Amino acid sequence: MGAETLDDELQALVGQPVGRGGPSVAPDPVNQPMIRHWAAAFDDRNPVYVDPAAAASSRFGGIVAPPLMLQTWTMPTPTLAGIAGRGGSPVEQDGDTALSVLDRAGYVGTLATNSEFEIVRYLRLGDVVSATTVFASISEEKQTRMGRGRFVTWVTTYTVEPDEVVGRQTFRILKFEPGGAPS
Amino acid sequence: MTRPRSAGPAVGDPLPTLTIPVTATLIAAGAIATRDFMPVHHDRDYAAEQGAPDIFMNILSDTGYCSRFLTDWAGPDAMVTRLAIRLGVPVFPGHTLVYTGEVAGCSVQGDEDVVEVAFRAATDLGDHVTGTATLTLPHHR
Repeated sequence: MGAETLDDELQALVGQPVGRGGPSVAPDPVNQPMIRHWAAAFDDRNPVYVDPAAAASSRFGGIVAPPLMLQTWTMPTPTLAGIAGRGGSPVEQDGDTALSVLDRAGYVGTLATNSEFEIVRYLRLGDVVSATTVFASISEEKQTRMGRGRFVTWVTTYTVEPDEVVGRQTFRILKFEPGGAPS
Repeated sequence: MTRPRSAGPAVGDPLPTLTIPVTATLIAAGAIATRDFMPVHHDRDYAAEQGAPDIFMNILSDTGYCSRFLTDWAGPDAMVTRLAIRLGVPVFPGHTLVYTGEVAGCSVQGDEDVVEVAFRAATDLGDHVTGTATLTLPHHR
């Protein structure tokens, strides 16, 4: 049966890396300019991010990056030309991904549903972050308010050289068949 | 507002409400500060082609505001050790996003207070984010 084949194909992905080419390494070490930019964007006045004296007298003993900035450090440097034509993907992607398997099966819609972070330690200036992401689970087909779909969960482990784990992120999306919602 | 040093947090303590009048500038600034260049977060024409009425806030901005909401209350010595959010309705320019929350659990581990917070961020359309978080604070003396 085709459904079994698809299930087998999807279950084979669990534990496999999302994307190719090994870990995503941050293009820049944790640095004050990007932290300052982030703090300004969210009007976050926490002094441990930008004030060296206040940070030195805090429990952190010096400047730290905002904890939920963890994901930002390893975001790919985009190629802006043609980004709209790539569906918003920041960089060129070639070949199949697990998500294209789901697209071909009709689950072309994407809706992010959950994001969960565990912060092991705050990042300090100079830390170089790497991210490794693997598929944690792909659900069986479920009827959702968006239509028929499958929940896809991946886990990203963030490390600082050589191999210190500084945080983990669990991210879940629903891949669904648009227009299939019950009336 | 910083948590008073005279007393530790208690279950049921409300966090100060964080009200965010959402503009296109704020959404675009958050997206770029988090290195998220998806056009739906800065290009209204592109968002319209995708069926959205306007650009909308990215998830990395949501987690950013969550951390600000938590540490605006808990102060600079707080460490956010866990954040779990569930995503609801999108947020567009013109919306007012309101973060509310309360202390859901407290314990002492070693020389730290461990505080669980339950919170939500809502607009007129409903819940945008619901979540829980864990913070540690040097134990008050």
